[in-house]
Amino acid sequence: MRRFLDAVYDAAGYLAAFFMVGVLAMVLASVVGRLAGFNLRGSDAYAGYCMAAASFLALAQTLKRGEHIRVTLFLESFGGKLKRPLELWCHAAGTFFCAILAFYSARLAWQSRAFHDISQGNDATPLWIPQLAMAAGALVLLVAMVDDFVLLIRRGELRGAHADELKAIE
Amino acid sequence: MDAFITGALIVLLFALLGSGLWIGISLLGVAWIGMELFTSRPVGDSMAVTVWGSLSSWTLTALPLFVWMGEILFRTRLSEDMFKGLAPWLSRLPGRLLHTNIIGCTLFAAVSGSSAATCATIGKMTLPELKRRGYPEDMTVATLAGAGTLGLLIPPSIIMIVYGVSADVSITRLFIAGVVPGLLLAGLFMGYTIAWSLIHPERIPPPDAHMTFREKIHASRHLFPVVGLIALVLGSIYVGIATATEAAALGVVGALILSAIQGSMNAKVFMESLMGATRLYCMIAFILAGAAFLTLAMGYIGLPRRLAEFIGALGLSPLWLLFWLMVFYVVLGCFLDGISMVVLTMGVILPTIVKAGIDLVWFGIFLVLVVEMAQITPPVGFNLFVLQAMTKREITWIARVSLPLFLLMAAAVSLIYFFPGIVTWLPARMA
Repeated sequence: MRRFLDAVYDAAGYLAAFFMVGVLAMVLASVVGRLAGFNLRGSDAYAGYCMAAASFLALAQTLKRGEHIRVTLFLESFGGKLKRPLELWCHAAGTFFCAILAFYSARLAWQSRAFHDISQGNDATPLWIPQLAMAAGALVLLVAMVDDFVLLIRRGELRGAHADELKAIE
Repeated sequence: MDAFITGALIVLLFALLGSGLWIGISLLGVAWIGMELFTSRPVGDSMAVTVWGSLSSWTLTALPLFVWMGEILFRTRLSEDMFKGLAPWLSRLPGRLLHTNIIGCTLFAAVSGSSAATCATIGKMTLPELKRRGYPEDMTVATLAGAGTLGLLIPPSIIMIVYGVSADVSITRLFIAGVVPGLLLAGLFMGYTIAWSLIHPERIPPPDAHMTFREKIHASRHLFPVVGLIALVLGSIYVGIATATEAAALGVVGALILSAIQGSMNAKVFMESLMGATRLYCMIAFILAGAAFLTLAMGYIGLPRRLAEFIGALGLSPLWLLFWLMVFYVVLGCFLDGISMVVLTMGVILPTIVKAGIDLVWFGIFLVLVVEMAQITPPVGFNLFVLQAMTKREITWIARVSLPLFLLMAAAVSLIYFFPGIVTWLPARMA
């Protein structure tokens, strides 16, 4: 089970990286297209879809590595006694909201397919196809969150994601 | 009653954030609760549509690409090359090699969108080199902490993309508007270093062996890669042949070529940079998604409009409004990172800014400067974290030695207020 779950997060992560390259490829294609004088239809929209797929599919792996940013100031300073209840609360609330996100993401893709929702840009993509990546990513995130929640209940301690180990963005 | 509930939502948001709940989830959660309480619209569906729309928008595609470019450059020998190229020219200037921190960060900021990456990339070369030569550690760390924040102000800048997308301001204009204030700030830092060195000449070690002019020129060849990359990315934006997104794509390709020429690129490094960039972007995207939904929810609740009316009724002059905003952001920066701060407040504060008649490009630069200040204020400041990891010093010590540079940034904020041309002059000259 453990190995299977980790493989799922990794697979989603690699798929996200693939779409990241996709963003680059789409933007470069439109640059090259403009220089060479042909217009690649919808490459702007495809770059957007690739970006959305990359962000959603990587959610679980980023969570698992403790790289989603959170305010750890109080979590760390209360230390000992309050830390565990706070962590439990965070994972419970996280599971709840991730479940909502996963459910409605899946519903969005399903509705787009049921109502034949087509992109308004000149790519005319049926929107359910790119939205499938959003639904899949949100679902894997939910699985990862539940996974962490269960680990936390069983073992009482997760990986130590301290503030200074978080990757900095600015 | 309404005011009470909006107040309660704000308290709830800070309670969730403070409890350690992931920032993206906190934003989604508060928006969801707020909309459930206030509207009869289908909340979950609005959430999915808003999140999808914000994360698949073309304007945002510059962001993952600039993140990736930074991840590639971080893994090259660029910082080493820049040190070799810069050092020979600085031996006569009071403060000598301390200026490699400032000029190095300024140059690197022009190819990197993040201040933490700028700080880490330059610092991994200058910190050990300056220590070995006997430069005072407090000044080394202080100049690095201050100049590292230039990564935000000098384009490309991740936080400007985030601001541009949330405030619907041209990212290209923001980028160009950041150039002169960035150089101004670098100039202030160098001036401070020179002044400090003239007061404490005994603490600056003697120069390295003298080099002839020809040798110096020869050493400068190491600067070509970074200057070429700057010309590629910023030049193409300024001349108007590329959008910010296209420049970012060119930047990724340029960075890949540069590292291949240097010999620091291989399959392993490529995968590391790609996976690292994907996760880093994913983390930012999650916050952006939450903020987009929160902005929508706040709009339904009417908070931004009411805040604008409230502040309008106070009759604050723009000067006082901006002063209080600066205080507010620096305090908020004690708990939150810059991107969260910007996305969290933009949806609420923007109508107030528009109503006060403040130019949105100018406000973007103001905001970036204030966020820069927040980067080096404890307890949460990403540059402090980076420097703490590199120097093994207490965060409070780093913050204390960086205080003069913090004050210089505050001075820069008042300079752009009294001379707005510093910000608006260059964008007005664009094609």
